Amino acid sequence: MKAAILDGIVLGLQYGLLGVGLTLVYGLGGVLNLAHGQLAVLGAIITALSFDAGLPIVPAIAVGLACAATAGLVLDLTLMRPVYRLRGEPRVLLGLLLMLGLAFIIDGFLVWRYPIQSLSIRIGGDPIPILGVRMRTGSLIASAVTIAAGASLVAFFRLTTAGRAVRSVIQDEEGARLCGINPARVRTFIFALSGFLACLVAVTRSMTAPVTVTNGIDFTTLALIVAVVGGLGSVSGAFLAGIVLGIVNTISSFYIGTYITTIMLLVAAALTIVIRPSGILGGRT
Amino acid sequence: MTGRSPLSEPLLTVSDVSAGYLGEDVVHDVTFTVGEGDAVAIIGSNGAGKTTLFRTICGMMQNTGGTVTFGGTDITTAGAHQVARAGLAYVPAERHLFPEMSVRDNLILGAYPDRPSAERMALVFELFPRLAERERQHAGTMSGGEQQMVAVGRALMSEPTLLMLDEPTTGLAPKLAAEAYQALAALREQGLTVLIAEQQVPLALALADRGYVLENGRIQLAGTSEELASNPDVRRAYLGVA
Repeated sequence: MKAAILDGIVLGLQYGLLGVGLTLVYGLGGVLNLAHGQLAVLGAIITALSFDAGLPIVPAIAVGLACAATAGLVLDLTLMRPVYRLRGEPRVLLGLLLMLGLAFIIDGFLVWRYPIQSLSIRIGGDPIPILGVRMRTGSLIASAVTIAAGASLVAFFRLTTAGRAVRSVIQDEEGARLCGINPARVRTFIFALSGFLACLVAVTRSMTAPVTVTNGIDFTTLALIVAVVGGLGSVSGAFLAGIVLGIVNTISSFYIGTYITTIMLLVAAALTIVIRPSGILGGRT
Repeated sequence: MTGRSPLSEPLLTVSDVSAGYLGEDVVHDVTFTVGEGDAVAIIGSNGAGKTTLFRTICGMMQNTGGTVTFGGTDITTAGAHQVARAGLAYVPAERHLFPEMSVRDNLILGAYPDRPSAERMALVFELFPRLAERERQHAGTMSGGEQQMVAVGRALMSEPTLLMLDEPTTGLAPKLAAEAYQALAALREQGLTVLIAEQQVPLALALADRGYVLENGRIQLAGTSEELASNPDVRRAYLGVA
Protein backbone atom coordinates (compact mmCIF):
# COMPACT_ATOMS: atom_id res chain seq x y z
CA MET A 1 0.00 0.00 0.00
CA LYS A 2 2.79 2.42 0.97
CA ALA A 3 4.64 1.45 -2.19
CA ALA A 4 1.50 2.07 -4.25
CA ILE A 5 1.04 5.53 -2.79
CA LEU A 6 4.70 6.45 -3.25
CA ASP A 7 4.59 5.17 -6.83
CA GLY A 8 1.36 7.06 -7.30
CA ILE A 9 2.87 10.34 -6.20
CA VAL A 10 5.82 9.99 -8.58
CA LEU A 11 3.52 8.96 -11.42
CA GLY A 12 1.23 11.81 -10.44
CA LEU A 13 4.00 14.38 -10.75
CA GLN A 14 4.64 13.09 -14.26
CA TYR A 15 0.91 13.41 -15.00
CA GLY A 16 1.09 16.93 -13.62
CA LEU A 17 3.96 17.88 -15.92
CA LEU A 18 2.08 16.38 -18.84
CA GLY A 19 -1.15 18.18 -17.97
CA VAL A 20 0.41 21.54 -17.17
CA GLY A 21 1.50 22.15 -20.77
CA LEU A 22 -1.92 21.32 -22.15
CA THR A 23 -3.67 23.42 -19.54
CA LEU A 24 -1.43 26.45 -20.16
CA VAL A 25 -1.76 26.36 -23.93
CA TYR A 26 -5.52 26.20 -23.51
CA GLY A 27 -5.62 28.87 -20.81
CA LEU A 28 -3.57 31.28 -22.91
CA GLY A 29 -4.96 30.82 -26.38
CA GLY A 30 -8.06 28.61 -26.16
CA VAL A 31 -6.31 25.86 -28.14
CA LEU A 32 -6.88 22.34 -26.86
CA ASN A 33 -3.71 20.66 -28.06
CA LEU A 34 -4.86 17.18 -29.02
CA ALA A 35 -1.37 16.49 -30.43
CA HIS A 36 0.24 17.06 -27.03
CA GLY A 37 1.11 13.38 -26.52
CA GLN A 38 2.28 13.09 -30.12
CA LEU A 39 4.81 15.87 -29.49
CA ALA A 40 6.03 13.89 -26.46
CA VAL A 41 6.42 10.72 -28.51
CA LEU A 42 8.04 12.61 -31.39
CA GLY A 43 10.69 13.94 -28.99
CA ALA A 44 11.15 10.48 -27.44
CA ILE A 45 11.59 8.79 -30.83
CA ILE A 46 14.07 11.48 -31.91
CA THR A 47 15.96 10.78 -28.68
CA ALA A 48 16.01 7.05 -29.50
CA LEU A 49 17.14 7.70 -33.10
CA SER A 50 19.91 10.05 -31.93
CA PHE A 51 21.06 7.44 -29.44
CA ASP A 52 21.04 4.74 -32.13
CA ALA A 53 23.04 7.08 -34.36
CA GLY A 54 25.79 7.06 -31.76
CA LEU A 55 25.10 10.02 -29.49
CA PRO A 56 25.55 9.39 -25.75
CA ILE A 57 22.21 9.21 -23.96
CA VAL A 58 22.25 12.63 -22.25
CA PRO A 59 22.95 14.63 -25.44
CA ALA A 60 20.44 12.40 -27.24
CA ILE A 61 17.80 13.39 -24.67
CA ALA A 62 18.78 17.04 -25.12
CA VAL A 63 18.24 16.71 -28.88
CA GLY A 64 14.81 15.12 -28.31
CA LEU A 65 13.77 17.82 -25.86
CA ALA A 66 15.00 20.59 -28.16
CA CYS A 67 13.09 19.10 -31.10
CA ALA A 68 9.84 18.81 -29.12
CA ALA A 69 10.20 22.42 -27.90
CA THR A 70 10.97 23.63 -31.43
CA ALA A 71 7.97 21.72 -32.77
CA GLY A 72 5.77 23.57 -30.25
CA LEU A 73 7.32 26.90 -31.19
CA VAL A 74 6.92 26.35 -34.93
CA LEU A 75 3.34 25.14 -34.51
CA ASP A 76 2.42 28.28 -32.61
CA LEU A 77 3.97 30.50 -35.27
CA THR A 78 2.49 28.68 -38.26
CA LEU A 79 -0.51 26.38 -37.85
CA MET A 80 -1.94 28.38 -34.95
CA ARG A 81 -1.80 31.78 -36.68
CA PRO A 82 -5.26 31.52 -38.29
CA VAL A 83 -6.61 30.10 -35.02
CA TYR A 84 -5.49 33.07 -32.93
CA ARG A 85 -7.13 35.43 -35.40
CA LEU A 86 -10.52 33.99 -34.45
CA ARG A 87 -12.37 34.59 -31.20
CA GLY A 88 -14.61 32.51 -28.96
CA GLU A 89 -16.07 29.20 -30.10
CA PRO A 90 -14.71 29.25 -33.68
CA ARG A 91 -11.19 29.61 -32.24
CA VAL A 92 -11.63 26.64 -29.90
CA LEU A 93 -13.10 24.49 -32.68
CA LEU A 94 -10.52 25.33 -35.33
CA GLY A 95 -7.69 24.80 -32.82
CA LEU A 96 -9.16 21.46 -31.82
CA LEU A 97 -9.56 20.23 -35.39
CA LEU A 98 -6.12 21.37 -36.57
CA MET A 99 -4.39 19.77 -33.60
CA LEU A 100 -6.40 16.56 -34.02
CA GLY A 101 -5.33 16.45 -37.66
CA LEU A 102 -1.74 17.04 -36.66
CA ALA A 103 -1.96 14.21 -34.11
CA PHE A 104 -3.03 11.84 -36.89
CA ILE A 105 -0.23 13.05 -39.15
CA ILE A 106 2.48 12.58 -36.49
CA ASP A 107 1.07 9.16 -35.49
CA GLY A 108 0.82 8.08 -39.11
CA PHE A 109 4.29 9.28 -39.99
CA LEU A 110 5.94 7.57 -37.01
CA VAL A 111 4.12 4.26 -37.54
CA TRP A 112 4.92 4.32 -41.25
CA ARG A 113 8.55 5.37 -40.97
CA TYR A 114 9.65 3.87 -37.60
CA PRO A 115 7.12 1.11 -36.81
CA ILE A 116 9.26 -0.77 -34.30
CA GLN A 117 11.20 2.15 -32.85
CA SER A 118 10.79 2.84 -29.14
CA LEU A 119 12.61 4.69 -26.39
CA SER A 120 13.65 2.65 -23.41
CA ILE A 121 16.30 4.05 -21.12
CA ARG A 122 17.73 1.33 -18.90
CA ILE A 123 19.56 2.39 -15.79
CA GLY A 124 21.28 -0.41 -13.89
CA GLY A 125 22.13 -0.73 -10.20
CA ASP A 126 20.51 -2.35 -7.21
CA PRO A 127 17.18 -1.10 -5.84
CA ILE A 128 17.57 1.59 -3.18
CA PRO A 129 15.27 1.70 -0.14
CA ILE A 130 13.28 4.96 0.19
CA LEU A 131 10.95 5.25 3.22
CA GLY A 132 11.11 1.48 3.56
CA VAL A 133 10.20 0.89 -0.09
CA ARG A 134 12.80 -0.56 -2.42
CA MET A 135 12.90 1.54 -5.59
CA ARG A 136 14.75 0.90 -8.80
CA THR A 137 17.45 3.38 -9.80
CA GLY A 138 15.53 4.13 -13.01
CA SER A 139 12.38 5.16 -11.16
CA LEU A 140 14.44 7.12 -8.66
CA ILE A 141 16.15 9.16 -11.37
CA ALA A 142 12.82 9.60 -13.14
CA SER A 143 11.28 10.83 -9.88
CA ALA A 144 14.16 13.17 -9.15
CA VAL A 145 13.97 14.73 -12.64
CA THR A 146 10.19 15.03 -12.40
CA ILE A 147 10.28 16.63 -8.95
CA ALA A 148 13.03 19.03 -10.00
CA ALA A 149 11.10 20.02 -13.12
CA GLY A 150 7.87 20.48 -11.15
CA ALA A 151 9.60 22.58 -8.49
CA SER A 152 11.32 24.74 -11.13
CA LEU A 153 8.00 25.33 -12.85
CA VAL A 154 6.26 26.36 -9.64
CA ALA A 155 9.15 28.68 -8.77
CA PHE A 156 9.05 30.12 -12.30
CA PHE A 157 5.34 30.90 -12.12
CA ARG A 158 5.37 32.22 -8.55
CA LEU A 159 8.64 34.11 -8.35
CA THR A 160 9.78 35.37 -11.73
CA THR A 161 8.45 38.31 -13.70
CA ALA A 162 8.13 36.16 -16.83
CA GLY A 163 6.13 33.56 -14.89
CA ARG A 164 3.81 36.21 -13.48
CA ALA A 165 3.41 37.58 -17.01
CA VAL A 166 2.21 34.16 -18.22
CA ARG A 167 -0.37 33.96 -15.42
CA SER A 168 -1.47 37.52 -16.06
CA VAL A 169 -2.36 36.73 -19.69
CA ILE A 170 -4.48 33.77 -18.53
CA GLN A 171 -6.28 35.90 -15.93
CA ASP A 172 -6.87 39.04 -17.98
CA GLU A 173 -5.33 39.37 -21.42
CA GLU A 174 -6.34 43.01 -21.82
CA GLY A 175 -4.89 43.87 -18.42
CA ALA A 176 -1.66 42.14 -19.43
CA ARG A 177 -1.42 44.20 -22.61
CA LEU A 178 -1.92 47.37 -20.56
CA CYS A 179 1.11 46.33 -18.50
CA GLY A 180 3.24 46.09 -21.64
CA ILE A 181 3.03 42.31 -21.99
CA ASN A 182 2.73 40.89 -25.51
CA PRO A 183 0.29 37.95 -25.27
CA ALA A 184 1.43 36.52 -28.62
CA ARG A 185 5.01 36.19 -27.36
CA VAL A 186 3.80 34.57 -24.14
CA ARG A 187 1.72 32.05 -26.13
CA THR A 188 4.65 31.11 -28.37
CA PHE A 189 6.93 30.61 -25.37
CA ILE A 190 4.36 28.46 -23.56
CA PHE A 191 3.70 26.31 -26.63
CA ALA A 192 7.43 25.59 -26.83
CA LEU A 193 7.62 24.96 -23.07
CA SER A 194 4.68 22.56 -23.26
CA GLY A 195 6.42 20.55 -26.01
CA PHE A 196 9.55 20.43 -23.88
CA LEU A 197 7.66 19.27 -20.78
CA ALA A 198 5.67 16.64 -22.68
CA CYS A 199 8.89 15.20 -24.08
CA LEU A 200 10.49 15.31 -20.63
CA VAL A 201 7.63 13.17 -19.30
CA ALA A 202 8.07 10.70 -22.16
CA VAL A 203 11.81 10.50 -21.44
CA THR A 204 11.30 9.91 -17.70
CA ARG A 205 8.58 7.34 -18.42
CA SER A 206 10.99 5.49 -20.68
CA MET A 207 13.22 4.89 -17.65
CA THR A 208 10.63 2.46 -16.28
CA ALA A 209 8.68 1.33 -19.36
CA PRO A 210 9.33 1.67 -23.11
CA VAL A 211 7.71 4.55 -24.98
CA THR A 212 6.55 3.35 -28.40
CA VAL A 213 5.45 5.18 -31.55
CA THR A 214 1.79 4.49 -30.76
CA ASN A 215 1.85 5.97 -27.25
CA GLY A 216 0.90 9.48 -28.39
CA ILE A 217 -2.84 9.01 -27.87
CA ASP A 218 -2.23 7.63 -24.34
CA PHE A 219 -0.21 10.70 -23.37
CA THR A 220 -2.77 13.04 -24.91
CA THR A 221 -5.64 11.34 -23.09
CA LEU A 222 -3.78 11.49 -19.78
CA ALA A 223 -2.91 15.15 -20.26
CA LEU A 224 -6.52 15.93 -21.12
CA ILE A 225 -7.84 14.13 -18.03
CA VAL A 226 -5.31 15.88 -15.78
CA ALA A 227 -6.09 19.29 -17.28
CA VAL A 228 -9.85 18.79 -16.91
CA VAL A 229 -9.62 17.57 -13.31
CA GLY A 230 -7.20 20.36 -12.41
CA GLY A 231 -9.22 23.00 -14.20
CA LEU A 232 -8.17 24.23 -17.65
CA GLY A 233 -5.71 27.08 -17.22
CA SER A 234 -4.68 26.21 -13.67
CA VAL A 235 -1.02 25.33 -13.03
CA SER A 236 -1.34 24.29 -9.39
CA GLY A 237 -4.58 22.50 -10.27
CA ALA A 238 -2.76 20.39 -12.87
CA PHE A 239 -0.15 19.28 -10.34
CA LEU A 240 -2.72 18.54 -7.64
CA ALA A 241 -4.88 16.64 -10.15
CA GLY A 242 -1.83 14.78 -11.41
CA ILE A 243 -0.93 13.55 -7.93
CA VAL A 244 -4.52 12.56 -7.05
CA LEU A 245 -4.90 10.71 -10.37
CA GLY A 246 -1.48 9.10 -10.02
CA ILE A 247 -2.51 7.63 -6.67
CA VAL A 248 -5.91 6.58 -8.06
CA ASN A 249 -4.08 4.91 -10.92
CA THR A 250 -1.57 2.91 -8.89
CA ILE A 251 -4.06 1.90 -6.20
CA SER A 252 -6.69 0.75 -8.68
CA SER A 253 -4.15 -1.21 -10.71
CA PHE A 254 -2.75 -2.65 -7.45
CA TYR A 255 -6.12 -3.81 -6.09
CA ILE A 256 -8.20 -4.30 -9.22
CA GLY A 257 -6.01 -4.57 -12.28
CA THR A 258 -4.25 -2.49 -14.92
CA TYR A 259 -7.15 -2.85 -17.35
CA ILE A 260 -9.34 -0.72 -15.10
CA THR A 261 -7.00 2.26 -14.59
CA THR A 262 -7.81 4.34 -17.68
CA ILE A 263 -11.50 3.83 -16.99
CA MET A 264 -10.99 4.93 -13.38
CA LEU A 265 -9.19 8.06 -14.55
CA LEU A 266 -11.94 8.90 -17.03
CA VAL A 267 -14.53 8.38 -14.29
CA ALA A 268 -12.55 10.78 -12.08
CA ALA A 269 -12.54 13.35 -14.89
CA ALA A 270 -16.27 12.90 -15.56
CA LEU A 271 -17.07 13.24 -11.85
CA THR A 272 -15.01 16.42 -11.69
CA ILE A 273 -16.94 17.96 -14.57
CA VAL A 274 -20.22 17.12 -12.84
CA ILE A 275 -19.22 18.23 -9.34
CA ARG A 276 -16.73 21.04 -9.98
CA PRO A 277 -16.85 22.08 -13.65
CA SER A 278 -13.99 24.55 -13.23
CA GLY A 279 -11.64 21.92 -11.74
CA ILE A 280 -10.58 20.93 -8.25
CA LEU A 281 -9.06 24.30 -7.49
CA GLY A 282 -11.97 26.14 -9.06
CA GLY A 283 -10.14 27.54 -12.06
CA ARG A 284 -7.33 29.32 -10.23
CA THR A 285 -4.10 29.91 -12.08
CA MET B 1 -5.81 77.10 -26.90
CA THR B 2 -3.65 77.48 -23.81
CA GLY B 3 -0.76 79.78 -23.09
CA ARG B 4 1.94 77.25 -23.92
CA SER B 5 4.67 78.10 -26.37
CA PRO B 6 3.75 76.97 -29.88
CA LEU B 7 7.31 75.74 -30.37
CA SER B 8 7.20 72.96 -27.77
CA GLU B 9 5.60 69.87 -29.20
CA PRO B 10 2.75 68.45 -27.12
CA LEU B 11 3.28 65.11 -25.34
CA LEU B 12 0.18 63.62 -26.96
CA THR B 13 -1.30 64.75 -30.24
CA VAL B 14 -4.54 63.24 -31.46
CA SER B 15 -5.39 64.49 -34.94
CA ASP B 16 -8.56 63.77 -36.90
CA VAL B 17 -9.00 60.40 -35.23
CA SER B 18 -12.04 58.37 -36.20
CA ALA B 19 -12.81 54.95 -34.80
CA GLY B 20 -15.66 52.52 -34.34
CA TYR B 21 -16.93 48.98 -34.45
CA LEU B 22 -18.01 46.80 -37.38
CA GLY B 23 -17.58 49.52 -39.97
CA GLU B 24 -19.61 52.07 -38.03
CA ASP B 25 -17.63 55.00 -36.62
CA VAL B 26 -18.41 56.04 -33.06
CA VAL B 27 -15.68 58.69 -32.87
CA HIS B 28 -15.43 61.25 -35.68
CA ASP B 29 -12.39 63.40 -36.56
CA VAL B 30 -11.34 64.09 -32.98
CA THR B 31 -8.38 66.44 -32.58
CA PHE B 32 -6.78 67.52 -29.31
CA THR B 33 -3.43 67.75 -27.58
CA VAL B 34 -2.02 67.12 -24.14
CA GLY B 35 1.16 68.98 -23.17
CA GLU B 36 3.67 67.81 -20.62
CA GLY B 37 2.43 68.51 -17.09
CA ASP B 38 -1.14 69.17 -18.30
CA ALA B 39 -4.28 67.73 -16.80
CA VAL B 40 -6.90 67.41 -19.50
CA ALA B 41 -10.47 66.15 -19.16
CA ILE B 42 -12.62 64.67 -21.90
CA ILE B 43 -16.16 65.09 -20.63
CA GLY B 44 -19.32 63.69 -22.07
CA SER B 45 -22.28 61.52 -21.25
CA ASN B 46 -22.54 57.76 -21.50
CA GLY B 47 -22.14 56.62 -25.10
CA ALA B 48 -20.49 59.85 -26.27
CA GLY B 49 -17.46 57.84 -27.47
CA LYS B 50 -15.01 58.55 -24.64
CA THR B 51 -14.07 54.90 -24.10
CA THR B 52 -13.73 54.20 -27.82
CA LEU B 53 -11.48 57.26 -28.16
CA PHE B 54 -9.30 56.15 -25.24
CA ARG B 55 -9.07 52.55 -26.41
CA THR B 56 -7.98 53.81 -29.81
CA ILE B 57 -5.28 56.06 -28.36
CA CYS B 58 -3.82 53.30 -26.16
CA GLY B 59 -3.72 50.75 -29.00
CA MET B 60 -6.49 48.46 -27.79
CA MET B 61 -8.36 49.03 -31.02
CA GLN B 62 -7.47 50.25 -34.50
CA ASN B 63 -8.62 53.65 -35.70
CA THR B 64 -10.29 54.16 -39.06
CA GLY B 65 -8.68 57.53 -39.69
CA GLY B 66 -6.28 60.12 -38.31
CA THR B 67 -3.05 59.81 -36.35
CA VAL B 68 -1.89 59.63 -32.75
CA THR B 69 1.58 60.87 -31.78
CA PHE B 70 3.03 60.30 -28.34
CA GLY B 71 6.36 61.72 -27.22
CA GLY B 72 7.25 62.53 -30.83
CA THR B 73 6.56 59.01 -32.11
CA ASP B 74 3.63 57.95 -34.26
CA ILE B 75 1.75 55.32 -32.24
CA THR B 76 -1.31 55.13 -34.50
CA THR B 77 -0.73 51.50 -35.44
CA ALA B 78 1.20 50.39 -32.34
CA GLY B 79 -0.22 47.58 -30.22
CA ALA B 80 -1.39 48.19 -26.66
CA HIS B 81 1.70 46.58 -25.14
CA GLN B 82 3.98 48.80 -27.24
CA VAL B 83 2.08 51.93 -26.25
CA ALA B 84 2.29 50.90 -22.60
CA ARG B 85 6.04 50.38 -22.85
CA ALA B 86 6.43 53.79 -24.48
CA GLY B 87 5.21 55.34 -21.22
CA LEU B 88 1.49 55.80 -21.74
CA ALA B 89 -0.33 54.06 -18.90
CA TYR B 90 -4.06 53.48 -19.33
CA VAL B 91 -6.49 52.64 -16.54
CA PRO B 92 -9.73 51.36 -18.13
CA ALA B 93 -13.07 51.75 -16.39
CA GLU B 94 -13.32 47.96 -15.98
CA ARG B 95 -9.81 48.03 -14.45
CA HIS B 96 -8.70 44.66 -15.88
CA LEU B 97 -6.79 43.58 -12.79
CA PHE B 98 -5.40 40.07 -12.33
CA PRO B 99 -8.02 38.73 -9.91
CA GLU B 100 -6.15 35.61 -8.75
CA MET B 101 -2.96 37.49 -7.97
CA SER B 102 -2.02 39.42 -4.88
CA VAL B 103 -2.04 43.21 -4.83
CA ARG B 104 1.73 43.03 -4.75
CA ASP B 105 1.94 40.81 -7.86
CA ASN B 106 -0.47 43.10 -9.69
CA LEU B 107 1.78 46.04 -8.89
CA ILE B 108 4.94 44.13 -9.86
CA LEU B 109 3.44 43.41 -13.29
CA GLY B 110 2.75 47.10 -13.70
CA ALA B 111 6.51 47.61 -13.98
CA TYR B 112 6.87 44.88 -16.66
CA PRO B 113 9.35 44.03 -18.16
CA ASP B 114 11.51 45.52 -15.39
CA ARG B 115 11.62 44.48 -11.77
CA PRO B 116 9.97 47.31 -9.86
CA SER B 117 12.17 49.50 -7.70
CA ALA B 118 11.46 49.57 -3.96
CA GLU B 119 11.04 53.35 -4.14
CA ARG B 120 8.32 53.07 -6.74
CA MET B 121 6.44 50.50 -4.68
CA ALA B 122 6.82 52.73 -1.60
CA LEU B 123 5.47 55.69 -3.56
CA VAL B 124 2.32 53.78 -4.55
CA PHE B 125 1.84 52.58 -0.96
CA GLU B 126 2.26 56.15 0.27
CA LEU B 127 -0.44 57.31 -2.13
CA PHE B 128 -2.73 54.39 -1.22
CA PRO B 129 -1.86 53.22 2.33
CA ARG B 130 -4.79 50.78 2.10
CA LEU B 131 -2.86 48.77 -0.50
CA ALA B 132 0.11 48.35 1.84
CA GLU B 133 -2.25 46.81 4.40
CA ARG B 134 -3.75 44.51 1.77
CA GLU B 135 -0.53 43.66 -0.04
CA ARG B 136 -1.10 39.89 0.03
CA GLN B 137 -4.82 39.90 -0.67
CA HIS B 138 -6.04 38.68 -4.06
CA ALA B 139 -7.13 41.63 -6.18
CA GLY B 140 -10.35 39.86 -7.18
CA THR B 141 -11.57 39.76 -3.56
CA MET B 142 -11.25 43.51 -2.97
CA SER B 143 -13.93 46.18 -2.96
CA GLY B 144 -14.50 48.42 -5.97
CA GLY B 145 -12.68 51.36 -4.40
CA GLU B 146 -9.69 49.22 -3.48
CA GLN B 147 -9.59 47.71 -6.96
CA GLN B 148 -9.51 51.20 -8.41
CA MET B 149 -6.49 51.94 -6.18
CA VAL B 150 -4.77 48.80 -7.44
CA ALA B 151 -5.50 49.76 -11.03
CA VAL B 152 -4.07 53.26 -10.63
CA GLY B 153 -1.16 51.92 -8.58
CA ARG B 154 -0.38 49.31 -11.23
CA ALA B 155 -0.38 52.00 -13.93
CA LEU B 156 1.99 54.15 -11.86
CA MET B 157 4.48 51.30 -11.42
CA SER B 158 5.73 51.76 -14.98
CA GLU B 159 6.71 55.36 -14.17
CA PRO B 160 4.52 56.61 -17.02
CA THR B 161 4.89 59.99 -18.68
CA LEU B 162 1.14 60.10 -19.31
CA LEU B 163 -1.59 58.59 -17.14
CA MET B 164 -4.89 58.04 -18.93
CA LEU B 165 -7.95 57.18 -16.88
CA ASP B 166 -11.36 56.20 -18.18
CA GLU B 167 -14.08 57.05 -15.65
CA PRO B 168 -12.09 56.22 -12.52
CA THR B 169 -15.19 56.72 -10.39
CA THR B 170 -17.21 53.95 -12.06
CA GLY B 171 -19.13 52.03 -9.41
CA LEU B 172 -17.74 54.08 -6.54
CA ALA B 173 -19.81 55.73 -3.81
CA PRO B 174 -19.55 59.56 -3.84
CA LYS B 175 -17.17 59.59 -0.87
CA LEU B 176 -14.83 57.09 -2.54
CA ALA B 177 -15.06 58.94 -5.84
CA ALA B 178 -13.94 62.13 -4.10
CA GLU B 179 -11.09 60.20 -2.47
CA ALA B 180 -10.00 58.83 -5.84
CA TYR B 181 -9.84 62.37 -7.17
CA GLN B 182 -7.83 63.51 -4.16
CA ALA B 183 -5.24 60.87 -5.01
CA LEU B 184 -5.19 62.05 -8.63
CA ALA B 185 -4.76 65.65 -7.48
CA ALA B 186 -1.76 64.58 -5.42
CA LEU B 187 -0.22 62.89 -8.50
CA ARG B 188 -0.87 65.97 -10.54
CA GLU B 189 0.92 68.12 -7.98
CA GLN B 190 3.94 65.87 -8.44
CA GLY B 191 3.93 66.91 -12.08
CA LEU B 192 2.34 63.85 -13.69
CA THR B 193 0.52 64.48 -16.97
CA VAL B 194 -3.07 63.26 -16.74
CA LEU B 195 -5.76 62.67 -19.36
CA ILE B 196 -9.11 61.72 -17.94
CA ALA B 197 -12.47 60.74 -19.39
CA GLU B 198 -15.34 61.44 -17.07
CA GLN B 199 -19.07 61.93 -16.90
CA GLN B 200 -18.89 63.24 -13.33
CA VAL B 201 -18.06 66.63 -14.75
CA PRO B 202 -17.60 68.66 -11.54
CA LEU B 203 -14.90 66.29 -10.30
CA ALA B 204 -13.13 66.23 -13.65
CA LEU B 205 -13.15 70.00 -14.09
CA ALA B 206 -11.86 70.51 -10.55
CA LEU B 207 -8.84 68.35 -11.39
CA ALA B 208 -8.12 69.44 -14.98
CA ASP B 209 -6.73 72.72 -16.33
CA ARG B 210 -8.73 72.36 -19.48
CA GLY B 211 -11.23 70.10 -21.08
CA TYR B 212 -13.04 68.99 -24.21
CA VAL B 213 -16.71 68.18 -24.43
CA LEU B 214 -17.37 65.06 -26.50
CA GLU B 215 -20.88 64.58 -27.87
CA ASN B 216 -21.91 61.88 -30.34
CA GLY B 217 -18.27 61.18 -31.05
CA ARG B 218 -17.35 64.76 -31.91
CA ILE B 219 -15.65 67.47 -29.90
CA GLN B 220 -18.29 70.15 -29.46
CA LEU B 221 -16.50 72.49 -27.12
CA ALA B 222 -13.02 73.15 -25.79
CA GLY B 223 -11.70 75.47 -23.15
CA THR B 224 -10.14 75.91 -19.76
CA SER B 225 -11.91 74.29 -16.85
CA GLU B 226 -13.20 77.68 -15.69
CA GLU B 227 -14.58 78.49 -19.14
CA LEU B 228 -16.32 75.14 -19.38
CA ALA B 229 -17.68 75.31 -15.84
CA SER B 230 -19.24 78.69 -16.58
CA ASN B 231 -20.49 77.78 -20.05
CA PRO B 232 -24.32 77.76 -19.95
CA ASP B 233 -24.59 74.67 -22.19
CA VAL B 234 -22.17 72.68 -20.04
CA ARG B 235 -23.90 73.83 -16.89
CA ARG B 236 -27.26 72.73 -18.23
CA ALA B 237 -26.13 69.41 -19.65
CA TYR B 238 -23.54 68.20 -17.11
CA LEU B 239 -23.64 70.28 -13.97
CA GLY B 240 -27.33 70.05 -13.32
CA VAL B 241 -27.73 73.84 -13.29
CA ALA B 242 -30.52 75.49 -15.25
